[in-house]
Amino acid sequence: MKVVAVDAARGLALCADAAGARQSVETALVEPVAPGDRLLVHAGTAIAALASEPR
Amino acid sequence: VKFVDEFRDADLGQAVAAEILSLVEPGRHYKLMEVCGGHTHSIYKYGVDDLLPANVELVHGPGCPVCVIPMGRVDDGIALAHEPGVIFTCFGDMMRVPGSRGSLLEAKAAGADVRMVYSPLDALRIAKQNADREVVFFAIGFETTAPSTALTLMRARTEGIANFSCMCNHVTIVPPVRALLESPDLRLDGFIGPGHVSTIVGARPFEFIPADYGKPVVIAGFEPLDLLQAVAMILRQVAAGRAEVENQYTRVVPYEGNLRALQVMAEVFELRPHFEWRGLGFISHSGLAISERFADLDAERRFSVPGVRVADPKACQCGEVLKGVIKPWECKVFGTACTPERPIGTCMVSSEGACAAYYNFGRFARQREVV
Repeated sequence: MKVVAVDAARGLALCADAAGARQSVETALVEPVAPGDRLLVHAGTAIAALASEPR
Repeated sequence: VKFVDEFRDADLGQAVAAEILSLVEPGRHYKLMEVCGGHTHSIYKYGVDDLLPANVELVHGPGCPVCVIPMGRVDDGIALAHEPGVIFTCFGDMMRVPGSRGSLLEAKAAGADVRMVYSPLDALRIAKQNADREVVFFAIGFETTAPSTALTLMRARTEGIANFSCMCNHVTIVPPVRALLESPDLRLDGFIGPGHVSTIVGARPFEFIPADYGKPVVIAGFEPLDLLQAVAMILRQVAAGRAEVENQYTRVVPYEGNLRALQVMAEVFELRPHFEWRGLGFISHSGLAISERFADLDAERRFSVPGVRVADPKACQCGEVLKGVIKPWECKVFGTACTPERPIGTCMVSSEGACAAYYNFGRFARQREVV
């Protein structure tokens, strides 16, 4: 999923999947994250950060 | 999409399939186990097994989180769901798992407030929105999901959400794999290691498989090429007489795992002395319970849970399927009395279950030709 917005104080990120569906995601395991990052999300928690898509 | 398209490339797939063919000795039968239910699903979804020579057999392992939940735990969950004032939350496929007197879905139909969530975080949000109710989350899953539950319990603590608790059914992957290796029923030539569990635990916990049992392990991703490449890597090891842990899924899995995840798990959970697995019986140190420090968030301590042990239905052969001893279609009730619509066994419930994968992708009638 792609990070849309980050709430660093609460350790959450708003993420969107390929279809555009959005979900709050725990980021404690992969911090720091920034908008545009791609995360592997499992049960609402980002368990790995993937290399960014080339621009 | 990067990391998806290139791992579904048909030409590359044919090239790897050709390499696999060149690696096998004719006349020798190879049995490789994919431990993880996610792999089972991918193999049948993409027809990966059709690209393998007939003497390379994929055996499905015990790594499907829903499949290994014993009936007694479902009954305990249903008892909790019927407690007055409780909102009971769980993942969607868990709702359909039959207990001895019906499923959580049937409990919902009978009036219990059972709700499907995608994550423990969703369950916590329901607790926040329903301060006058008790919200229980039925936690299942291997090490992939356990950190998510751990983080949610820590969040409940820091955000002061007191009406939230968790019934913990988390399990760990190594004990059942060791039990399989000790079992006389099964002779395996190698393992396709679980991709997302390894993202958390790393590759090290699997080193005992080559060290103690002399079998290769290749941790793999979930796209068709990941799986083909993992098979090729295992066969290369077999051909060279090597046995070691290799990592095919380097784009996600670091060899040492996710240390932060291991840390939060260690803080929130402790090992149970033993835990019952569906069809596999009790396995020592294979389940996680909520630790003393988080005891106030443990639903099993907050409520009285019957804790009854229920034997699996006689007709159901999920245990043999989970151990890879029989193929799904060899089960007496496969596709007749037991279907995804009316499952008897857990393997037919979850999309990661071997029986559901066979059934849904229409592979139940096929006989493989022998070379």
